[in-house]
Amino acid sequence: MTIEVNGGRRGLTDPEIAAVIMAAVPDKPLETQRKMNYFMKPRGKRINEYEVLCCYSQPTPDWIPGGLDWGDWTQKFHGGRPSWSNESTEMRSSDWLAHRDPAFRWHALYVKDKAEEWRYTDRFLKAYSADGHVRSIDPVWRDEVLGDYLGAFGFYEYGLFNSHSSVVRDCLGDTLRMSSAMIGLDKVDNAQMIQAERTFLSKLVPGFPESTDIPKQEWTKGTIFKGARELVQDIWQATYDWNEILFSGHMICDPIFGQFVRREFFMRLSSYYGDNLTPFFINQMQLYFSQTKGITTDMFHTCLGADVEFGDYNNRLMRAWANKWLPRTVNALKDFMAIYATIPEIKGVSDKAAIEAALVRVFADWKRDFADPINYKVDTAALVKTVLSGLK
Amino acid sequence: MAISTATKAATDALAANPAPVSVGAQEVHRWMQSFTWDFDKNRTKYSTKYKMANDTKEQFKLIAKEYARMESVKDERQFGSLQDVLTRVDAANRVHPKWNESMKVISNFLEVGEYNAIAATGMLWDSATAPEQKNGYLGQVLDEIRHTNQCAYINYYFAKQGQDAAGHNDARRTRAIGPLWKGMKRVFSDGFISGDAVECSINLQLVGEACFTNPLIVAVTEWASANGDEMTPTVFLSIETDELRHMANGYQTVVSIANDEAASKYLNTDLNNAFWTQQKYFTPVLGMMFEYGSHFKVEPWVKTWNRWVYEDWGGIWIGRLGKYGVESPRSLRDAKKDAYWAHHDLFLIAYALWPTGFFRLSLPTQEEAEWYEANYPGWYDMYGKVYDEWRARGCEDPSSGFLPIQWFIENNHPIYIDRVSQVPFCPSYCKGESTLRVLEFNGKKHSFSDQWGERMWLSEPERYECQNIFEQYEGRELSDVIAEGFGVRSDGKTLISQPHTNKDGKLWTLDDIKRINCVFSDPLKAL
Repeated sequence: MTIEVNGGRRGLTDPEIAAVIMAAVPDKPLETQRKMNYFMKPRGKRINEYEVLCCYSQPTPDWIPGGLDWGDWTQKFHGGRPSWSNESTEMRSSDWLAHRDPAFRWHALYVKDKAEEWRYTDRFLKAYSADGHVRSIDPVWRDEVLGDYLGAFGFYEYGLFNSHSSVVRDCLGDTLRMSSAMIGLDKVDNAQMIQAERTFLSKLVPGFPESTDIPKQEWTKGTIFKGARELVQDIWQATYDWNEILFSGHMICDPIFGQFVRREFFMRLSSYYGDNLTPFFINQMQLYFSQTKGITTDMFHTCLGADVEFGDYNNRLMRAWANKWLPRTVNALKDFMAIYATIPEIKGVSDKAAIEAALVRVFADWKRDFADPINYKVDTAALVKTVLSGLK
Repeated sequence: MAISTATKAATDALAANPAPVSVGAQEVHRWMQSFTWDFDKNRTKYSTKYKMANDTKEQFKLIAKEYARMESVKDERQFGSLQDVLTRVDAANRVHPKWNESMKVISNFLEVGEYNAIAATGMLWDSATAPEQKNGYLGQVLDEIRHTNQCAYINYYFAKQGQDAAGHNDARRTRAIGPLWKGMKRVFSDGFISGDAVECSINLQLVGEACFTNPLIVAVTEWASANGDEMTPTVFLSIETDELRHMANGYQTVVSIANDEAASKYLNTDLNNAFWTQQKYFTPVLGMMFEYGSHFKVEPWVKTWNRWVYEDWGGIWIGRLGKYGVESPRSLRDAKKDAYWAHHDLFLIAYALWPTGFFRLSLPTQEEAEWYEANYPGWYDMYGKVYDEWRARGCEDPSSGFLPIQWFIENNHPIYIDRVSQVPFCPSYCKGESTLRVLEFNGKKHSFSDQWGERMWLSEPERYECQNIFEQYEGRELSDVIAEGFGVRSDGKTLISQPHTNKDGKLWTLDDIKRINCVFSDPLKAL
């Protein structure tokens, strides 16, 4: 037969072609080692599918620790700066490819989860609207808090989202890069969910503004988010070290400021003001927070802080970064305290004692999960006191 | 608490129309452009000589969750096919062995391109100022992760299910040994991420994706299918569904800089450099993989190239950008010449250096030789007779003591590496356009094979300093290099690479190579 085939003939199904192919196929496999990436050290007992599909996909020269490639970069930046370099971060590692997403999510698993969340969101919103829940929301909470301040908080999430762009460009490992992109996408998803909630409300409540104008005014000119805005701007655009961006955003700012605003303000208070819509969205954000926390604690505690060669140095550097970013985060939260003056007070819920208890929870969680693992000494009572001084 | 007017209105509206209401992706997306704000420090971390406009829109208006839904549906189809019907019919063992070897290279090298495109689009996400444009690049960041995983899945699948797992199972560790790797890094890795952000976008989106993904990801599926491989079309065509959005991103990049004065000064030069960079590697390598890496042929590579690169891209796609001042690259004509012979020249060298690969190569059979001669008149006199000579000297037999690289040395045909593209060439034995040019800089000699790369180097030599494989391995014995690069199978002695795919042929070992005592030397030192 001719070896040029056309007209869409397929070797798997065309008997004539298939016969030629099968005659050429070896009688038994030529290689017994069938596990891809068999040479790598798995995080668990066996190499899992995530590790097969993601690990060592980055062509990294061996002078970037962990890399399997050798030699130089074939094209550099104008002036000769290399494509990726150890100098892009103050952190040191004996293996930049060691990080693992604790959930072992490669792309297909990641989008499958989010797709299910989207479908469920659609079903929930339809049921919520048909059930008329919106009637029970306190008008001040709805019009001012959700309309203005939740909208303004969307800019916080959007700014943090953008801080991941240079991390995705500059970081030194494949699993780091994929994780950073995913936790970045979760942040823009948060911003979009906030806008989705506001758009949804505008459909149910005539006159409720879905425009971002007032929230943006609040975010850029108001005092409640002033500290947060300046903090986010500095993480996003004034920080060049990709590890410092991730550390400041996910190990300091978001576990304190983000957690308080989402968990202790919007989610905890909303039901007291008749709002059972906001918790639906915030719970998704908290799921992302939890997944991100798993990722970033693996990066900074499991890998960098416990690095055999550089662990002590890295922990010292993380403490220095905490010294730099913690006061700004505390200041952002202090500014945020002014929001309580805008809502009707509910005893035991939004009074000073309740706010203090909420702050204690957030700082205690942060100390346990983020400060203690790097041996960072912190007086959380003093921090709570500082924040409370912002109450009007 | 008092019920506000709005609450009453909501109550009334519900009474009048209790139909369930939700929120669509487009209703959220239409606010995207207002998500950002101005502040003093708001600037890109990656400098570009172009200014991207603040109001640039994207064409595919996705939000995060809708993106996930779309991709998840595609994944279900794709992985369903792979894990269900294709596994049940033992499809990986019904692929022609030559094509099984080609997919070791194609899938892994494409994976590198996809992987580096994650970083490249991260840089563009940072560089763009318009939120919609950022959003378009963000979608691409996630796509590139998807494609990296998908390409890996091909190697994973072939390793687990197929006839020769070696090379599929460890390509990420062994790929760096051979002569094709560094050139691939130039086009698929560093060319996407190192430079002016817009220049990188031109490399990635305007040329890499809009031009060469068509032959690389679409045309390859026809070749795969003809040779019994249904896994590759299942995965690659799913990848291609995302590429459309990436081409749109490239288009929008040009739109975003169209009114910038810098565009009229630099855009066509950057495009020309990007095109030459990409074609210098892809034109010969893709042609080689298709024609020499298959048994059943779909059509001569030159026809595929003409259709996708010259007509579709150089004519139609670039034509659409004409209103923004974009012109077809000046180097397109020279590239067209390369499309005829360059892949034949490259296979001659690749086969001569077969022990450094992570795949098995095969000499053309008699019927394949006739096909080459019929489609490329003059092929036999230049290449066919050399292959006959190599075969007669026992190049496939481990006991022969003959490696084809010896033929180049005996006949005084030195093989050089082009410093800019890192593509090997033999100026004294080729039918393609390569000519030897040697320049000295900082006490080091550099070889070039064409005027376009030489110009790039003359403008910015500090960007192209990478050692080539002959400089790297100089003075080292071949089997040592292979062993160090893990180029052996699980028995610790048989090479992954082989000079044939005959099922009854003997396999070469490290000892067979060592006996020949082939030592690398740098041809530039002889000049």
